[in-house]
Amino acid sequence: MNHHDHTPRLLAPAARVAGLPRRTFLAGLAAAAGAPLLAACGGSSGSGGSGAAAQLRAYSWSAYDDPKVLAEFTAKHGPKVIVDSYSSNEEMIAKLAAAKGTSGYDIVIPTGVFVPQMAANGLLQELDHGKLPNLANLDKAFQNQEWDEGNKYTVTKYWGTTGFVYDTGVVKRDLKTWDDFFDAAQKEASGKTSLVDDPGEICAMLCFARGWHQSTTDKAQLDQIETFLVDTLAPHIAAFDSSPGSSAIPQGTHVLMHCWNGDARRGILASSEQDRWKWVLPGPKTNLWMDNWAIVKGSANADAAHELINYVLDPAVAIKQVDFVGYGSGVTGSEEEARKLKLGLIDMIFPSAEQVATMYTGVINEGQERRMAIVNKMKAKAGA
Amino acid sequence: MTSDRRVPRAARRAVPPGLLATPALAWLALFFVAPVGLVFWYSLGRKPGLYQTHANDVLTLDRYREALGDTFLTSFSGTLRIGVTGTALCLAIGLPFAYWLAVKVRPHRRFVVLALVLVPFWTNFLIRTIGWQVVLSPEGFASRAMQSLGLIDAPFSMLFTRGAVLLGVVYNYLPMMILPLYVALDRIDGSLREASNDLGANRWRTALQVTLPLARPGIAAGLLLVFIPLMGDYVTAAVLGGARGNMVGQLVASQFQQAQNWALGSAMAVVLIVVIALTILATAAAGAVCTWLLTHRRRRELAGIAEGSAA
Amino acid sequence: MSSSPTRNAVASGRRADAGDGKGSVELRSVSKSFGGVTVVKDLDLSVNPGEFLSLLGPSGCGKTTTLRMLAGFEQPDSGEVLISGAAVQHLPPHKRDVNTVFQSYALFPHMTVAANIAYGLRQRRGIDRAEIRSRVAEALDMVQMTRFADRKPNRLSGGQQQRVALARALVNRPGVLLLDEPLAALDRKLREDMQVELKLLQSRLGTTFVFVTHDQEEALSMSDRVAVMLDGRIEQIADPYTVYERPATAFVAGFIGQQNFFDGTVADAGRAIEIDGGTVLPAEPVTIHGSGAAAVRVAVRPEAVTVAEAAPAGPDGSANALPGAVAAVSLLGDVLQYVVHADAGHELLARVPRRQAGRLAEGARVWCSWAPSDVHVFPAEVTPRAPIGSAK
Repeated sequence: MNHHDHTPRLLAPAARVAGLPRRTFLAGLAAAAGAPLLAACGGSSGSGGSGAAAQLRAYSWSAYDDPKVLAEFTAKHGPKVIVDSYSSNEEMIAKLAAAKGTSGYDIVIPTGVFVPQMAANGLLQELDHGKLPNLANLDKAFQNQEWDEGNKYTVTKYWGTTGFVYDTGVVKRDLKTWDDFFDAAQKEASGKTSLVDDPGEICAMLCFARGWHQSTTDKAQLDQIETFLVDTLAPHIAAFDSSPGSSAIPQGTHVLMHCWNGDARRGILASSEQDRWKWVLPGPKTNLWMDNWAIVKGSANADAAHELINYVLDPAVAIKQVDFVGYGSGVTGSEEEARKLKLGLIDMIFPSAEQVATMYTGVINEGQERRMAIVNKMKAKAGA
Repeated sequence: MTSDRRVPRAARRAVPPGLLATPALAWLALFFVAPVGLVFWYSLGRKPGLYQTHANDVLTLDRYREALGDTFLTSFSGTLRIGVTGTALCLAIGLPFAYWLAVKVRPHRRFVVLALVLVPFWTNFLIRTIGWQVVLSPEGFASRAMQSLGLIDAPFSMLFTRGAVLLGVVYNYLPMMILPLYVALDRIDGSLREASNDLGANRWRTALQVTLPLARPGIAAGLLLVFIPLMGDYVTAAVLGGARGNMVGQLVASQFQQAQNWALGSAMAVVLIVVIALTILATAAAGAVCTWLLTHRRRRELAGIAEGSAA
Repeated sequence: MSSSPTRNAVASGRRADAGDGKGSVELRSVSKSFGGVTVVKDLDLSVNPGEFLSLLGPSGCGKTTTLRMLAGFEQPDSGEVLISGAAVQHLPPHKRDVNTVFQSYALFPHMTVAANIAYGLRQRRGIDRAEIRSRVAEALDMVQMTRFADRKPNRLSGGQQQRVALARALVNRPGVLLLDEPLAALDRKLREDMQVELKLLQSRLGTTFVFVTHDQEEALSMSDRVAVMLDGRIEQIADPYTVYERPATAFVAGFIGQQNFFDGTVADAGRAIEIDGGTVLPAEPVTIHGSGAAAVRVAVRPEAVTVAEAAPAGPDGSANALPGAVAAVSLLGDVLQYVVHADAGHELLARVPRRQAGRLAEGARVWCSWAPSDVHVFPAEVTPRAPIGSAK
């Protein structure tokens, strides 16, 4: 196939929704109302930029930074950080593209595979490595990615993977693979299963199970995905929830939940019965993605933006962020630091080397629209 | 001198009769005609590439063919079912309540009752809906309370069922039904009900033959005020129904937000507007035909009395 | 001599024996209060089949509540209601052999005139379509509204709506027709026409009419009997002539027509009454229980008062005569009305036929006098609620 190689070194998924569904809803509504205003007034405020900035505007996934870290940054360096959230890379790109450099945002957090097109379309500003001394703290494994050679535009913020959580009180057997997931969803967990609300992730499940590339454009494979999701799996799905960790796990709403590792960790930590839940990184393959700091072209506060990126590359700060979201940062030694601090459920943040070896990243391609259509059809079937 | 007298008159006459309607028309043009026109225009275009949302370089109806696929029709029929059931439930609950409020409650207490109906709506509707999610979850208040009362012995979840969707819908839209019904019923002179009673009709026949027909404008307003926003609302259903609360609005939103395909999303939006309008027209027509059929015999039996005398 | 008011009297009507037979109405010791305020007190009333009875009184006297208890819209707190001989106080309106013409007409706005009239017939079993049609047509014809059969009520004038309301009630052939101030909303000319029509219709149909009104002229001109009500009681019930000529109480005297009232004390063993500036001689000696100079109230109708420039020459001298000056003169059609300021301070109203005497100018010195037979005497403690001359 014409896809990139399957090595774990290359990270990043297709469209992805991070954060809480409720916060996502709220944020989505707020962003819908607020973004045009920002776009409108950002133009004037952005043009006069110089010296010390009063505030930094970040456009990010929701609940993606520890508020305490941002507050400490403000206390130490001055600029107040204002965060608006988006629920997909496409949404963020469309907004930046429409504003043509007047969005008013200084920082965005694109997923790796979207970076080349954003750079090519002039949406991102080149980083000044002279202002990022802490870049040296970033593990070599997370530098020089294929989609951004030499870290010209981006610095890795988090990396993560996709798996599922299940209620051991209901599913009393060991689930290990995606096929186990499908089987349980149709049996013990029927009508009590949720999937992440993301077309790429939903369609990728069968690909991982069958050994196809997760971003396949093969029509026969996509047809099989459609048949399986719509006719077999859809009737057993209770909800499309990108963040079961925020309420479904603590409240015991579902039995089997497709989710991202950081979100799953947050949910289990918040549950009153942590032993009831089991996190699985399913075989044979699963997803790997990286989200990255980037500075928006036309940012009036580029210096402050560099300052923030440099700040979070400090290992002491990075570990706070890691504990807050439950995703690994690329900062060298963060795993050791986390073990030293005895962070909860640490294995969910840092999978073993053997596990990492089963992960690979997706790509952006012309299969996107088909995947969207398949998932919409699945939702229609599940709701019927 | 004649011109002096004419000027003010001419000036008066020059004020066009529709002047008072101008602000409303401007509002309508700016916030209804223009956006809907824009959506219609987008719907004739296409999504040119992965990173562009729409282009109208080639005008085509292909988006409509895509929009009218299986997915849309399945979602729409699900939405229609929730819309119709929810509206019917609101009517079934709102009508007796509004009748009670307009007829049985003493006038000085009506304000208090109306305020009680409206107070929950001072809270953001999303927060109210999510509140229900917390109440209905297995570890939530409803389940815990029933367990501690010994009514059930295992946690139960009403969340993510059709029942939960309807509960949320009724909760969020009931006031939109009650208010117009109350106004309509309140305006019916009480002596009409007494007259019907006096002429031999019991309470139910009075309700069917006098009160309901006279409340028809209020019933129609209530049905529209609930049905139309409900058909476009996907948040209530998604929050409480999960996969069971799939609404066609979600499909349209996903085209704009996730797929970034404004052309297809616009075509879906246009189809949705048209189909909802047709549904309402069909319902109104069916209602009119039913009324006509039901009263036809009676009208025939009294027809021609006036002409008979004239002859 | 009406020296003691007859409370809740049941005077004999045109037809004998109320209580049984279709069309009779009887209230026995009926009371009703709303929120602690008693509106109808221990009321007895009996209406004969085929009778036209008016309930007359000022607003708040309980006449409408009485009617609504007959219709069934209100339940009495105590007492019995009998219609056509059967106790109905616990029956809802739709099970009673009565129909009501409402003050507001209460026509159903969503139905045509014909459908309004057919409404009552359609609620009953056993009336076939042909009969409904013919009875509606007949009722329309009765009130001369046939050509408006297909109109909606909002396209009719007040008088036309009134006729439809009447037809809608009468088409059911009720034993008793209840009318709640049905003419109040009509203008004067139309009202007078309708009064005549209504009376003729009632005579022709022989249906019992119970008619509530606050208009004493209306009550007097149409009724077989008038029940004058005050404060939830019947002050007097009698034929219009008796009510007018022999009012049972000072209130009735004042409410029906106009009166000149004088307050005085009984003298000469009841053969005379002393008032300010004169003496009034009654038709018969007044019998007052108790002793001493009892206070009484004397009433004389304006049309019984003679106005003359010369002092009346009679055996009693100045009795039944007061001197004064003409304060105002007005022409009421065939009658001249004088307002005379008596020297003793009374203000007298006198009505004399226009042809009978020459017109006296304002300021003229006159004597007002009347015959003993025109004098009515009432106990003083009954204070008439209506001031002198206020009744229409």
